[in-house]
Amino acid sequence: MNTVLSRANSLFAFSLSVMAALTFGCFITTAFKDRSVPVDIHVSKVMLKNVDDFTGPRERSDLGFVTFDLSANLQPIFDWNVKELFLYLTAEYSTKSNALNQVVLWDKIVLRGDNNKLNLKEVKSKYFFFDDGNGLRANKNITLTLSWNVVPNAGILPLVMGSGHKSLAFPESYETAKSY
Amino acid sequence: MLSMFKSIPTHMDYKGQKLAEQIFQGIILVSAVIGFIYGLFIQQFGWTVYIMLAGFTVSCLLTLPPWPMYRKNPLSWQPAMPETPGENREKPQENPSQKKKKHK
Repeated sequence: MNTVLSRANSLFAFSLSVMAALTFGCFITTAFKDRSVPVDIHVSKVMLKNVDDFTGPRERSDLGFVTFDLSANLQPIFDWNVKELFLYLTAEYSTKSNALNQVVLWDKIVLRGDNNKLNLKEVKSKYFFFDDGNGLRANKNITLTLSWNVVPNAGILPLVMGSGHKSLAFPESYETAKSY
Repeated sequence: MLSMFKSIPTHMDYKGQKLAEQIFQGIILVSAVIGFIYGLFIQQFGWTVYIMLAGFTVSCLLTLPPWPMYRKNPLSWQPAMPETPGENREKPQENPSQKKKKHK
């Protein structure tokens, strides 16, 4: 403590330790919060095609097209320890060949400070809804759920499922190419 | 140019060093508590960090330069012994007790 540099050193190290304790305090105040909110999903259009799938082992696979509406109020999730939310819409179903299939159809990043009341209409899926085979045709029960990944400032990154889901059924026949 | 920096006097006496350490620890802890409570109230961790940085700057200004309040209790040195070759040979025992040790 008898030169400027040693005083500056101990001052800086003390500040960093106190800063680490404050960050831990920030984590502790929000560690056990429930981060689930109700979600409303509505499906407006469903279509099914049987196309060449170059990424799979077989010749043709089922490809589904879903157009949906989403609404949710994400305001209660954001507190001082949340930096952003990563939302994703999952379709879950079972077929004869696989007991459980989960496909992500759409995702979005919501930063803190962005508009956090989600109200989207007529959204087309971002990613292809390919099935591993031909199990989508006449499948009566496909469940759509919205989940999110909470990215904090300090602490654990939980995966939370919103409460509320929508079941839909795919048609019996494929849509053929239109003739012009 | 380094010699110019080295010639600026930056020493404090021992009581002044203790006072400086107490001052900066107190300021940082108080600004940490204020920052934590304010950040929790407005639900933005950024403000906690800003208040901590303000406390850090204030304590830098208060404790890094050697203000006169840190020099209130200077050490009282013994008067310097005149150095002659004759005295060194005659009184070899008294020299270690009166040898000056200067802290930087």
